[in-house]
Formats: sequence, C-alpha cells, structure tokens
Amino acid sequence: MDERDIYREEILEQYRHPHNFGALEKPDASAFAANPICGDEITLELQVKDGSVADVAFKGTGCALSVASASLFTEWMRGQKIAALKKVTPEFVEQLFKAPVGPARLHCVHLPLGALRKALDEI
Amino acid sequence: MITRNQFPIFKKHPKLVYFDSAATSQKPQSVIDAINEFYTSTNAPVHRGVYASAEGTTSAYEGVRDQVKEFINAKHREEIIFTSGTTLSINTVVNGFAQTLSSDDRVLLTDMEHHAMIVPWQATAQWMKFAIDFAPLTSNGRLDLSAFKNLLAKKPKFVGVTYASNVLGTVNPIKEIVALAHQAGAVVLVDAAQAIAHMPVDVQELDCDFLVFSGHKMYGPNGVGVLYGKKELLEKLPPFIYGGHMIESVSREKTTYAPIPAKFEAGTPPVAEVIGLGAAISFIKGLGWDEIEKHEQALVEHALEMFRGVSDVTLLGPLDSKDRAPIFSFTVAGVHPHDGASLLDRSGIAVRAGHHCTQVLHESLSLGASMRASLAIYNTKEEIDVLGTALQGLKKKLYG
Repeated sequence: MDERDIYREEILEQYRHPHNFGALEKPDASAFAANPICGDEITLELQVKDGSVADVAFKGTGCALSVASASLFTEWMRGQKIAALKKVTPEFVEQLFKAPVGPARLHCVHLPLGALRKALDEI
Repeated sequence: MITRNQFPIFKKHPKLVYFDSAATSQKPQSVIDAINEFYTSTNAPVHRGVYASAEGTTSAYEGVRDQVKEFINAKHREEIIFTSGTTLSINTVVNGFAQTLSSDDRVLLTDMEHHAMIVPWQATAQWMKFAIDFAPLTSNGRLDLSAFKNLLAKKPKFVGVTYASNVLGTVNPIKEIVALAHQAGAVVLVDAAQAIAHMPVDVQELDCDFLVFSGHKMYGPNGVGVLYGKKELLEKLPPFIYGGHMIESVSREKTTYAPIPAKFEAGTPPVAEVIGLGAAISFIKGLGWDEIEKHEQALVEHALEMFRGVSDVTLLGPLDSKDRAPIFSFTVAGVHPHDGASLLDRSGIAVRAGHHCTQVLHESLSLGASMRASLAIYNTKEEIDVLGTALQGLKKKLYG
C-alpha cells in the first residue's frame, strides 16, 4: 500500500492500538455520537484546565477509519485551547489522515468531530 | 462467459470484479448503442409533434410498452406504466391505495422488505392511521410462511412483499403468497427489483395485483422503471404525480384525468431510458432464460461452496442453492463491513457495505451492517475464487 493510502500501516496501527482509548476519572464534558449508517459509536470525554484540554479519552466501537480518526484527533486535541476546538472543521479532521478520504467513508472519519461538538456544548 | 465481452466496462477495466449488481447492473453495448442511436438519429418529443421524428419517437416509446407487456406476460399493454424506477412505482401504488384505508385497517409486509417498501407505507400510515404488520423470517433466512398465514388472519387489506431479497438472496414463493393473500382478501404488490434480471416473471401466472421493477438492475439505464397493475385496479387508483399528458381535460374549475397508462405518466417521460429498457429486454431475451438461469445457478452453487470454505465468514440467508438469487451478504468476524469493503476494493473487488436499505432486516439479525456480493450474468466462478482468496487475507491485512 502506498503512503497516500488511507489503509496504510501507520493508520492501521492507530486502529489496532488507538491512543487515548478509555475513560477519564473526572471528565468536565462527555458526549456520545453514533453513526446510523453502520452502527459505529463513540463516547468522548474532556478534562479542561485554564481554557485548554488537560486530558482527553474516547471509547466505542467502529471501523478502522473511525477509530483511527478518534485516535489521531484526540492526540491533536490535548493541550489545545477550547476556542481552537470550536473552530475545527470536518476538513481539518480529514487532513489528519494525510491521505484522501473517499466520499463514502467521510462519515466514519467525521464521527469523533460530532462527539466533540456535543461535548463542547457542555463546557 | 461470453456475455462479459458485450459489456464495455470490462474492456476498460478487464480485472474489475464487479459484485454490486443488486445495486446496479452494468450495461451491455446494445443498451448503450440504443440510447446513443436515439439521441443521434430520432430525438424528438413523445406523444406530441405530428412531424416524422416525433412520430418515430412515440412509436419507439410505445413499442417498448408492448415489449414489457410481453416480457412479464401482462394481459393488456395499458397495464404497463413507465416510472422513474421501483421507488416511484411503489410510492404510486401506496399513495393511491392508502387513501382507501382507515384506522381499522392493516397492511402486511415482511421483515426482508427494502426501505422503498417500508417507508412509503409508514409515511402514509401517519395520516391514514392504519396498522402495519411485519411477517418474520425463519432462522435460515426464508419467509416464515406459518407466521405469515397467522398475520393474514388479521385480514390485512394489502400485502407488500419482495420477490427476491436484496440482502439474503431468498426467492419467495410468490405464487403461493399471492394465493394466500387473495384468500384473505388482500391486494398484493410484488417488489420484483431483485428478481427481474434473474428469472422469468409472469404476472398472470403469479396473479399478483401490482408488480414493480427498475431498468438499471436488469442491464438497462438508470431513471426508468415499470409499474404493472391489473387494469381494473389501475383504473380505480388515483394518480400520484400531476401535470401534462396525464389529463383528459383542464378548465379553470377542474381537471379530468386521462385513461391508463397516461394517468400515471405525467410530464415528459424518460424516452431514451425507456428505449434503453427495450434494448435491455432484447438483450435478456437474446441470451434466453435457460442460459441465464443455468449460468447463475452454477455461480450460486460455487459461491456457497466458497463461503463455506472461508473461516470467520458468516453468510446471511439460505445456505442451500434452491430458490436463491446470486446475492450474498456476509460478515467477517473482527472485520467491520466498511473496512472489509474498502480493503476488498484494493483487490479490485467491488462489494457493498452497509445495511443495504434494509435496517429492519439487519435489526432482526442483530446486525448493524454487512458486506454484500451480488452477481449477474457477466460474473464467473474465477471471480468468486478471487473474492474467496481476498476474504481469507482480510483479517491479516487489517490486524497485521
């Protein structure tokens, strides 16, 4: 597989061993998002300190792309200002893959963003 | 098989393993040529102009109506309505029939129906307040006929049933189902979208009241489909789409409607697509049902054997080849269907992933989604083996 393939080893590693997988002890915000097309689910938790993300975790079940997306995305979130999280676009999440995402799989990649937006409503 | 050469897409992509024919079939050169020839030589409005090319268009369009009549053995040519596809055909029947129902009435569907059958009934039930029952399936993916009979005892006014499941491949005993439903006093609509390319359909033999299908799943173009209905029922059914051509007379005060089939063909019809549908029927007839059924039956048997031999694969639907269309939905343990389909694509295999517009069915199987390989006459046993090999390697590809 070439380096522009979304199913390259580096991405599959994120699926096999996702970063930030689990739950936080005292989350300041928590949100659930699901994908009706395939039944994928994610619960995202944030801990906020001084207007920035102090800790982040996610749980759920999904395809390789939705899990890898949550892994890459939560990795980026850590330390970011809440104001910056509010500005995240779907395109930004796609770019974390460094490979084109086909139109049929965008819903997988965007799932964690749906959870983030709900979580931000709680803060 | 020799027919593969007649599909230009396989000349362009010789290694393409196209296993998504239940979604849409590929088109033979003769269908593409017929559409091209129409736009190149004849194109003119249908049913309007008095000049030569307009008359040519009208006779070509109406000629396909005769072809469809013969293809499904309808009694009268005006029982053939051209629509945009199965979905509009079903909506036309449901919208008209639902107007005769009230809160005391019931409609009977099955758990294997496509959303195109379920959703129009549910939407109309919101304003006409009738009840909808769903006949369950047996554990081997066939319609539970004894449960179906029990639900018929509730005296539904209408039964909507698929001829062949777009997920399970199950071919339902439609003739028996129609007879049972008629005994119970119900009108029957048969969704033949997944049957029409795979087996001869004879509406008089089945005695169904309505039967619907799409052109693009039977080697024809997109945007055209058929609504067959018994003459007396179509005459009673109110129109669904209003506009030009479907009228008899229009004044400031009121409109009277044209007789069938025009009553159900408002607006400019998809003429080129109808002509393409005619070419698709000629293509199927040129091959002959004996050849088609022989080839596809061999594919079904080979595929069932292949699926049996791959570990971690669970096939949905009947495991025996009897009354089975070449449609195979499956799951692979540990592999999300969308990952599976994306990875198979990397081996040049086109399969579908999702719920295939059958969330009720998937829920009854406790599944969110599955992969589906659906075959047609241009597929080969060798391609099934390519899928088998790719499935064997799927888990390794995903988990390393």
